[in-house]
Amino acid sequence: MTRWFEDITIDEAFPLGSHTFTEAEIVRFAEDYDPQYFHLVGTGAEHSHFGGLIASGWHVVVTGHRKMVDALAAEEDRLRGLGQQPGESGPGAGVNQMEFKSPVRPGDTVTYALQVSAKRPSNSLPGWGILTNQISAVNQRGEPVYHSELIGFSKLRDFKMPLRLRILEALTNIPGLGKLLRPKRS
Amino acid sequence: MNPITADRRHFEDLALGEVIGLGQITVTKEMIVSFAREFDPFPFHLDEEVAKKSLLGGLASSGWQTAALTLRLLTDAFLNQIASAGGLGFSDLKWKRPVMKNDSITGSAKIIELRRSQHHPQWGVLTIEIDIHNQRNQPVMSMKLANLVETRTPDLIAHEQPAQPYDVETGHKS
Repeated sequence: MTRWFEDITIDEAFPLGSHTFTEAEIVRFAEDYDPQYFHLVGTGAEHSHFGGLIASGWHVVVTGHRKMVDALAAEEDRLRGLGQQPGESGPGAGVNQMEFKSPVRPGDTVTYALQVSAKRPSNSLPGWGILTNQISAVNQRGEPVYHSELIGFSKLRDFKMPLRLRILEALTNIPGLGKLLRPKRS
Repeated sequence: MNPITADRRHFEDLALGEVIGLGQITVTKEMIVSFAREFDPFPFHLDEEVAKKSLLGGLASSGWQTAALTLRLLTDAFLNQIASAGGLGFSDLKWKRPVMKNDSITGSAKIIELRRSQHHPQWGVLTIEIDIHNQRNQPVMSMKLANLVETRTPDLIAHEQPAQPYDVETGHKS
């Protein structure tokens, strides 16, 4: 979220917009990443239980990610327009659960939304909060397309770094010494 | 029978604990930038100079690109060799380390669960655990993926399976 950790409201729906999937882009994604016969044209998709071409679930998911990146950038612009300093979001850490619920066919329009269901300050990353993000997608008939739970990060606005950590940070900035002090990534 | 999958391995042909080796793919700058432009347009995935100053320390692929490339390796090595009937989803996806420009990734997939569908006897549910590492053998990503696989015996209804031996073809007790 491009909102400060403190400003994130639990369970508030944040719309991410819609995307209509064309046959050409479904096939192009499948050729690169998921070339199974029901994601391609001319390979017998009609023999599958889907009865025809469907988009790779992963295509629908990464498109949802794109919609989220765009929506957060727009939210950042909106906050700046109000004279506020937007928050900062960190990289995604992982996906707890992703359930594909119904297939996406050429011409289908998928609408995405994000809800933060839980938040807590991070123990290992001082100054950051950990978010449990729920992203869901529905089609033009209101049928669920997928539901997911992801782990994200958001910066704390009111965080004051403890003196102990400030000293440690100052020491790690000294050439040579920093390498020894910085915790190794596992 | 589905003519596309008729000659492929079906649900009954899969074994718990089976490990499938995946191919290898080298992630170029062009691949990183082109995926990011379409699906993850953060400046640190698009611009090498911005990337050097970011947390990633250089141009790295989107985590979603690493996942999509893993799917490609899995499709080539496994999903297109079996009677796959589509994915159900995935869980416990962890991005452990960024994939930097010109890194090569590979890994393995292990069958950790095989379960016949209770309501759809024509399908079984396959769960596989995937581990991906880079050319320095450092872990990059892991996840569990669930996929439907066609069965050879769609007439056999799982919850109606009698305790006694019976004829799979006719469904009658022998």
